[in-house]
Parts: sequence; structure tokens; C-alpha cells
Amino acid sequence: MLSILNMSNGAILVFTSLILVILGLYAVVTKKNLLKIIIGMEIMATGVNINFIGLSLLKSPRLIDPTSHALTIISILLDGALVGVALAMTLVVYRKFKTLDTDKIRKLKW
Amino acid sequence: MLPYAPWIVWILPLAMMLTYIIWEKISYKLRDAIAVLTGFTAAVFAASMIPDVINGYVVIEGVKHTIPFDWKIANWIPVPGLEISMGVLVDPLSVFMANIVAWISSFILLYSIEYLHGDRGITRYWMLVNFFIGVMELLVLSDNLLAMFFGWEGVGFASYALIGYWYEDQKRYWLGPYSPSHCGMKAFITTRIGDVGLMAGMLIIFMYSGTFNFVELASNGSWVISLAKDGILTLVLLMLFLGPIGKSAQFPLHIWLPEAMAGPTTVSALIHAATMVKAGVYFVARFTLVLFILYNSLGSVVLPSLHIFFLTVAWIGAFTAFLAASMGMVANQIKKVLAYSTVSQLGYMFAILGVAGLLMNNPEAFVDSYLAGVSHLMSHAIFKALLFLSAGAIGHAIESYMLEDMGGLKKYMPQTFIVMLAGALALSGVPPFNGFWSKDAILHALSTEHVFTIYIVLALTAVLTVFYTFRMMGMAFYGKTSRHVKHLIEEGHEPHDPGIFMSISLWILAIGALTSGFFMPSISQFFTPAFSWIGINHEVFLKIPLFNYLSFYVSTLTSTTLITSIVIIIVGFTFAWGFYIAGRWDPKSFIEANPILKGIWTFLFNRWYINAFYYAFFVNGTVFVSRFFFETIETNGGGDILKQGYSRFASWFRKIQTGYLRANMSYIVLGLAFIMLLYLWLI
Repeated sequence: MLSILNMSNGAILVFTSLILVILGLYAVVTKKNLLKIIIGMEIMATGVNINFIGLSLLKSPRLIDPTSHALTIISILLDGALVGVALAMTLVVYRKFKTLDTDKIRKLKW
Repeated sequence: MLPYAPWIVWILPLAMMLTYIIWEKISYKLRDAIAVLTGFTAAVFAASMIPDVINGYVVIEGVKHTIPFDWKIANWIPVPGLEISMGVLVDPLSVFMANIVAWISSFILLYSIEYLHGDRGITRYWMLVNFFIGVMELLVLSDNLLAMFFGWEGVGFASYALIGYWYEDQKRYWLGPYSPSHCGMKAFITTRIGDVGLMAGMLIIFMYSGTFNFVELASNGSWVISLAKDGILTLVLLMLFLGPIGKSAQFPLHIWLPEAMAGPTTVSALIHAATMVKAGVYFVARFTLVLFILYNSLGSVVLPSLHIFFLTVAWIGAFTAFLAASMGMVANQIKKVLAYSTVSQLGYMFAILGVAGLLMNNPEAFVDSYLAGVSHLMSHAIFKALLFLSAGAIGHAIESYMLEDMGGLKKYMPQTFIVMLAGALALSGVPPFNGFWSKDAILHALSTEHVFTIYIVLALTAVLTVFYTFRMMGMAFYGKTSRHVKHLIEEGHEPHDPGIFMSISLWILAIGALTSGFFMPSISQFFTPAFSWIGINHEVFLKIPLFNYLSFYVSTLTSTTLITSIVIIIVGFTFAWGFYIAGRWDPKSFIEANPILKGIWTFLFNRWYINAFYYAFFVNGTVFVSRFFFETIETNGGGDILKQGYSRFASWFRKIQTGYLRANMSYIVLGLAFIMLLYLWLI
């Protein structure tokens, strides 16, 4: 267990990102409320972004790799757009069904 | 050389092909003019390469390159391990072919303006013809097998589309029992069989050598050694030869060419003279050069395989020459006579190229036979284009290609008669027309090298050639005026000579057929760089050109082969004259009277039953098998089982789709977990 404490910065980031992704996934799978699912998706996205930085640090600890940082910034930008679209869709869903409970929105049923 | 000539020759027609839709909107005349101008521009660029080949070097951006010059300008496929560059090969053979293709097709384009005037699909015609010329130029100029194969498939497609040009299948365009679209399909499928062999052989060679480039294949012969060690060299060479067999309509796959007559006559002329069928001869000629180098550097290791390969080439050629000529004697349609004659003449070229390959141990004999083959290619291109275009002029005038609908046309179409006679004399090999010089060179090479079996077959074929040529001329231009023509005259459509565009093309080609034979020594000089490339010091051309020409004429006209040629002409002409021109004997009653002759006639008229056999076995066989499966599996029994099985599976499977978002997400997580476990297990 002590080796966990001696982890490098990169490894810490990678583990953090793993935890974030699992938490986000948990939220997406278990929550019923659409807003909570979107929050879970955002947590996952954050985890992925951190994963990028962490891996670049693992690969070259002394040098800041501009590629991964650039990719992460683009990813954050896209996340913003994605959240915008998702919230807009949630709004439409709410107007149509008068609820955000996914169990009650079952139009894709056989 | 004009700048980038070998590239522009093939890129220009391909690029112009896409623009006809625009020109059509502006003016029909502009569209036609641009089509013809494209052809002639490409021809001028092709001709500009001739002086460089004669000089023996090319200067590009101040750097001097010797011929053969492999001009690569870009990486075509830059995958590691498969680096294939886009290049053209400037050498005598490719420039020779490029010029034949470009010039003959330009005159055919000029002719088509008038011939197809008023046809509805003429924009499509110009597009396809330009595509046809472009891919054929790519085929002959490309420096590697793969780009050549692209051109090869391109001409296959273009010929399919052009043979089926009248795809609406109006009854008047039918060829016997076959509709134009059927004929196009037949040509496409038959040549495809050969292409499979070519592609397989090509890829096996690539596996062993790692290159498609002709120059690299020739410079490093280790691939031949490894192929010979694995014992598949003969097989690979014969697979490669399957492509030319299909494309040039040689014996087992010759059946498509007579049906290729369903398209417009200009297309037939293009296919037969310039673009399509010459591809096979070109490929064999090209590969013979490569194999000659390897033979010289490797010697006896590859000898048995090469021997079998070239013996097959020679005998398939000789047999096809005889087979097609015998069918040509009884054909009832003027274009079919010419089609059979093309197959026959291509057989001559293959026979002599095969013999050239057999004579590799004797460079002088190799050079003689090889040059005879390529000279005959040029002669044939000129006179066959001429004959087809003349036949087109007749068809234009009387709206029929059946020989029985003609007869006595000489007084109505005197000009057409003269030019067609020039073509016929060249085809039968009458001096001084070009066919005489090249056919005589072929027979001469065969007799001096004592290849007497093939010599006898080809000489016999020459008799048949003379016979069917003058039979065709006699039936078309002599004899009584047919009922069809009389009917036309009563209606006020008296047959007449064609107009200005068609006449120009016909007369230029007729002059070519008369004079091009005199330039045979020039061809032999032209090919000097190719022979020096493969290591033959080819000093045929002496210091004083005039003397060289004279010695060539004198030696040709005093050789013993000349006597054979004259006997051939006299025998063939006498029969044709008696039966069809003077009308001394009546061919129909002559054949009916003798049961043996009647049997032979039926056998020949049914094309040796080869076509019927292919239809019965392959076409009807496929239809039978398909119908069997359709009836047993699709309609009866089998169909129900499949249908109910699918239905039950679907009703079970759709229960998974609950509509709960959480359930769907769980499936995704499960799938992700499965993939991760798989990944862990794999590493």
C-alpha cells in the first residue's frame, strides 16, 4: 500500500481519472433523472480529460507535451457544446413528457 | 518532346471526358469539335516523343536520360512495404503503341462526327470514347503492372459500354439472336475470365519480386529463380497469358469479338484497330522483352518454363489464326467477316511473338521475328481501321450490314470501293500495300528459322484470308444489285459516297495502308533503343539510310517467301474471283450439291460449335443451377423454414429491448467489461 503513496504526479492523475470515470458511469447507469445522467456524463468526460494529462505526464515527466494539452482543451470545448445540446434536448423532453424520469419515457419499448 | 508529353497523352482524354456535359449545353458543334481536337492534341503529344526515341535520350529540366526512361513523378501508393510510384515508361514499344492508338483513334473520331450525326446519345459516346483512348494510353505508357492493369480494366469497361451503346435494344441493332446490351455483357464477362488470370499472375509475381515495375522486374531476376524453384514459373506465365487471350480474343476466349459488332461501326473500328485488342499483343511484346533480359542473365534455369510458355503463345496464335479465318469464309455479315479477320490477324501476331520467344538463343532471329510482329500490329491497325470505316460507309448508305443486302454497290459508291479495295489488298498481303511487307516478314522469319509447322498453318491461313477478303469485296461491290438496294432506290435513297469528314478519314487511312509498309526499316531503327536495353547490339540500320531501305526492298522482293506469297494470293483470289466477283460459279448450288461441303459449311457457319457449347454449358448451366436453388430453397420448403426461424428469433430477441434507459446502459457497461476482459486475456 505504501507504493500508492509514492506514486508520481502522472500516476495520481491517472488513478483519479479512473475513479471519476467509474463514478460517472455509476451515475449514468443507476440514476433515473435525466439531469443527473447528464451530470454523470460530465464527470466521465472530466475523468477522460484528466486521463489525457496524466498519461502525458507519465510518458514525459519533465517535459510538457503540447499535443495532449491541446487535445484536452479541445475536448473541454466540445464538452461545453455537448452539455448545451444535451440540456436543450432535456428541455424538449420535459415539455413533451412533463417529466424527467427515464422510466416513464419509454417510447423505444418493443 | 513537348513538355510532359507521356503524361498529357493519357491524362488529357481522361480529363476532357468529364467536360462534354458542359459543351453539350453550349453547342453540339462545339462539343464535336472539342472531342476531335482532344484526340488530335493527344496524337500530337504522342508524336512529339518519336524524335527523342530516335535520338536515344530524353532531356527533362536539363537532365539527360537515356531510353528506356522510367519517368516517376509521384508516390502513388505510399504504404510501407508497398511503395508503388506513378510513372510512365518512355521506350520504343510504348511510344510506338501510343502513336498508333492516338493517331488511328483521332481519325476514327473525325469519322464519327458524320457517322453518328443526329444520334441521341452522342455526348455519352464522346465521353466513353475519350475514356477508352485515355485508359488505353495509360495501359501502353505505364511503367508498372498495376497501373497497366487499371488501364486494362478501363478498356474492358469502355468496350462493354460502347458495344452496348444502343442499350435500348431496338430491333434494327440486333446482331442475329443477340441484343446490343447482351453483346456488351458477353464481351465484358469473357474478357473478365482472362483478367482474373492476369491479376493472379501479377500478384504472385509481386509476392516474389516486391515490385510491379517493368524495369525493376527486368533488372533483378531473383523472382524468376524463386518461382522456378517452387515449380510454378510456367503456371504463373500462363496465368499472365490468360489476360491477353481474353483481351485479344484468342482461341478459348475468342467468342466475344464477333459479337462486339453490335455497337456503332466506329466503335468496332476503335476496338479492332486501335484500343482494345492490341492491348494483349502489347502486353506479350512488353513481357517478351523483360523475359529476354532474364533469359540472358539467368540462362538455363528458366529455360524449360519459358519454352513451354512461348510454345503455348505461338500455337494458340497459329491455331486461332486458322480457326477465325475459316469462320470468316462463311460469315454472312460484312462486319463479322472483318471481326473474324481481326481474330485471325491477332493470331499471326501472337504466333510470331511466341516464335520470337522461342528463338531467344539467337538474337538476330529474335529481333527479326519480334519486329515482324510489331510491324504487323501497325499494318493491321491501319488497314483494319480503314476496312471497318469503309464498311461503316456502306452501312451508312444502305442501312444494313448483311452481305446479301449489298451487291453491285461499285457504281453507286466508287470512292468507297477504291478505299476499301486498298484495305482489302493490304489485308490479303498484295504488294506494295503494308500488309504484304509485314506478313511477308512474318513468313520470312518463320521459314528462315525452320519453324515449318507454324509456317504451314499461317500460309494456309493466308490463302483463306485472301479468299474471304475478296469474297467480301465481291459480294458487296460486284454481282447483281440486291433487292434491298433496289428497294432503297425506289424510295429515293440511292446509295452514295459518304460526306467530307468520313471521306477525309477514309482517304488518309487508305494512303497509310498503301505507303506505311515502305517504312519498315524505320521501325527497325526505331526499336534500336529497346534492343540495346535488352542487350542486343541492333545494327540493322546502316550509316546510309537510302542504301538500307533499298537493301530491305531488294531482299524482301527476292526472297523465296515472295513466291509463297504470290501463290497464296493467286490461289485465294482465283476462287474468290470465280465464285463472287465474276460469278462464273454459283456458290450456293455448289455447296448444296456436295454433302461433305455442305457439312463443312454448316460446321464453319456455326463457328465450330464452340459458341454454342459455351452457351449450352456455361450460360445455361448457370441458369439451371440458379433456377434449381430458386425453386428448392426460395419458393418451396426451404423458404418457410427460414422465414419462421427468423420470425421466432426476432420475437425472442426483441424482449431485450425494454425501453428502460438504465437497462440499455447496463448492456453497454457489460459489453465494455467484456471487451476489457478480452483485452486482458489476449495480452
